[in-house]
Amino acid sequence: MSGKHKTPMLDELEKGPFPSFITEIKKARNSSAMPEMADDELGQLEKSYNSKRGYWKHGGIVGVLGYGSGVIGRYSSLPDEYPGVAHFHTYRINQPSGFFYTSKALKEICDIWDKYGSGLTNMHGSTGDLVLLGTTTENLETLFAEYSSRGWDLGGSGSAMRTPSCCVGQARCEWAMIDTMDICNTVTQHFQDELHRPAYPYKIKNKISGCACDCVAAIARADISVIGTWKGDIQINQAEVKKYADSGMDIQSDVIDWCPTECMSFDGSSITIDNSQCNRCMHCITRMTKALKPGKERGASILVGSKAPIVVGSLLSWVIVPFMKMESPYEEYIELLENMIEWWDDNAKPRERIGELIEVKGMRPFLEAIGVDPQPQQVYEPRKDPFFFWSESDFA
Amino acid sequence: MEQSELQDKIFAYLEKMKGKKKLKEKDIFKAIMAETGEDKATVKTALREMINVGRVMYSYGGGASSVEIPSEEYLKEKGLL
Amino acid sequence: MALPERQTDIGPPDYRQFLPPVIEKNYGKWSHHEILTPGTMVHYAESGDKLFTVRVASPRLLATDSIRELCNFAEEYCDGYLRFTTRNNVEFLVSDESKLEPLVAALKEKGHMIGGIGPRVSNVIHTQGWVHCHSACTDASGLVKAIMDDLHEYFTTKALPNKVRLAVACCVNMCGAVHVSDIAVVAVHRKVPVINDDAVKKACEIPTTIASCPTSAIRPNPKEKSVTINEEKCMYCGNCFTVCPPIEIHNPEQDGVAIVVGGKIGSLRTDPKFSKLAIPFFYNEPPRWPKVVAAIRNILETYAKNAKKHERVGEWIERIGWEDFFKQTGIEFTFQHIDDFTFMRDTLRTSAAFKY
Ligand code: SF4
Ligand code: SF4
Ligand code: SF4
Ligand code: SF4
Repeated sequence: MSGKHKTPMLDELEKGPFPSFITEIKKARNSSAMPEMADDELGQLEKSYNSKRGYWKHGGIVGVLGYGSGVIGRYSSLPDEYPGVAHFHTYRINQPSGFFYTSKALKEICDIWDKYGSGLTNMHGSTGDLVLLGTTTENLETLFAEYSSRGWDLGGSGSAMRTPSCCVGQARCEWAMIDTMDICNTVTQHFQDELHRPAYPYKIKNKISGCACDCVAAIARADISVIGTWKGDIQINQAEVKKYADSGMDIQSDVIDWCPTECMSFDGSSITIDNSQCNRCMHCITRMTKALKPGKERGASILVGSKAPIVVGSLLSWVIVPFMKMESPYEEYIELLENMIEWWDDNAKPRERIGELIEVKGMRPFLEAIGVDPQPQQVYEPRKDPFFFWSESDFA
Repeated sequence: MEQSELQDKIFAYLEKMKGKKKLKEKDIFKAIMAETGEDKATVKTALREMINVGRVMYSYGGGASSVEIPSEEYLKEKGLL
Repeated sequence: MALPERQTDIGPPDYRQFLPPVIEKNYGKWSHHEILTPGTMVHYAESGDKLFTVRVASPRLLATDSIRELCNFAEEYCDGYLRFTTRNNVEFLVSDESKLEPLVAALKEKGHMIGGIGPRVSNVIHTQGWVHCHSACTDASGLVKAIMDDLHEYFTTKALPNKVRLAVACCVNMCGAVHVSDIAVVAVHRKVPVINDDAVKKACEIPTTIASCPTSAIRPNPKEKSVTINEEKCMYCGNCFTVCPPIEIHNPEQDGVAIVVGGKIGSLRTDPKFSKLAIPFFYNEPPRWPKVVAAIRNILETYAKNAKKHERVGEWIERIGWEDFFKQTGIEFTFQHIDDFTFMRDTLRTSAAFKY
């Protein structure tokens, strides 16, 4: 269909080489059974571009029976002017680990969405869900029946465990020290109740990266961050080192000079590493993968606390467990997760994230509650001031 | 205590608190456990059943989730009224 | 029409059913990879098998018909297998080497932007904006489009010293990874919220609203059964608005965006870093935010010209020092750049050794 709104501002954004979201919104009018949704989305957006403000109300109360998560209410504040977006709710489908799909599966999702929604999606939302953008309250139960009966459940939202997510890991990455996709899937399945029924003080996120490159931004965007790593000596294949050198790589300036711990050297034909000094940063391995492989004992570092700035500033996750084996069915990790979450759930105020709670209560009560010893790997440096607590147990 | 009696108590508590405080599941567990002496698992089962049939519902507002008595509008739309 | 029977708590479908056979066979047994072009790479398995990947940009906001078109490519060239990346690119997984070039040609013919692999600008992590969020004080998708139209060569061809990760967030809730990106845009408010007492009385829990303020700027207003805000303490974070919507934080004429730089996620070479403030404010200038676009290009090109190979933006800045960053980029240093909130102690200089 062609639209009923004139959109000169938005039309500007159809020009240029980068794919245009405006073209996408226009396109949705051709496939959705409710073309007025995408059309009024365009109309309202054009108005925003002119007035420099949004016209969405705070999320309302919508959901599917029995769940408190996965659907986010969205209503236009101008429903008379733009009736097509009077309801424009988000339906979050829990993505498969690693964002892998077959065309058959995706087309099935699209066909259902065109019938009961706007035809617009986000591939994917910030947390990881496959986000369907814009449906009405009355279609929610139908969507849930259609999708869940075909194996697609809702993801998390609100004060719940949020949909876990992971990097591509061992499916395609030679640097993956742990099976990120399996861990993600196992955790997601384990916490179904906590994902769908928001009973926590606030949101809690879990992301899993296979190595220190951290492609899923676990260290910055997950309350509980898992980062694959290793123990033991980096495995060196000197024949391959030589091949890199022969192919013209300047090993000294591209690799050795960047080693943050200055634990590597290159004598013109072979590499030596003082592994006791290596901090496993991954730089050398990513530069010369054929010649350098991580040590043989694989596992993960578990870090806790990261979040965006609301309320008292951003946090990056802190090292809590320097090394943990991560082998299916991941009982040790899941037990740790449960213990950390339980401590937070018992102690946090509403809308307090786990990192903020640790700041308020201190690291000691947290570590004691989850049974982790203090270790120098958890800090950059020890405290500077001479003010510190003693507790009864220290005198025993 | 009979499940239905427990559920009536939960409902009464939600009614009493309506408009006063946004309740989380945990708040309800605490109050009902104190009132009835039942354990958490029992209260949780009772509450979850009420949620499954739409007698009470999860709600969201002010950046946080809570548990509430559904509006007529919600019940209509779920075909429960 | 009867609905199919709903199922609950089944979780996502098992990813294994979506993996192409070459991945199933070589799962966990990849040896290394090579970047063939800015948009294609090949992964070698220990078994000798090869998997080719073609990466194309997506605006993230996709119509079903566009997903179907992507699926059609996958069916014709990849036995139906495709995936998305954490930065919202689309990846075609090609097992049959002879189909690689034809796929690339077919994608190009349809105008797809192929690239984003290696030391380049990849897709921009971003948020909902005016398209879909009540909290937005700019439009994320529009900014992304304008920025990437300008920087497209850094996605498709030109190389940089290292990867440059861009992000846009349409309010300080920062649903994207703005606080840890090489260069990012975040929308900000600059005016104390306006309180609608009547609506506050009806819709908000007063104690919760007071507690929501990180600077304790909110006081009760018993007369109106509402609250008041101490203007000197408010730093416009908008958290009170999230908790109590009748506290209106939006101010279309004075809202706008800031640019932050130097964030980093990976631990390679140096530790992960937060992004820091580079430019405190630009007015919203839809549809193409030309000043924001120009400022980002300036920062990117100054970095490209001056950073050493392998240095991320944040590593470059730490090496040269922030005072030199402001000099090299010509960005003005203002009161807003000096932290007077939680990080003040860590950020004030305590050394007499610095550059001019
Ligand atoms: S985080 Fe590491 S293992 Fe995971 S995809 Fe990135 S580089 Fe590979
Ligand atoms: S992993 Fe990092 S610290 Fe270890 S040897 Fe390589 S570059 Fe050096
Ligand atoms: S960053 Fe703010 S405005 Fe943008 S989608 Fe997130 S909450 Fe909404
Ligand atoms: S905007 Fe933030 S700082 Fe200002 S009153 Fe509201 S909560 Fe407090």
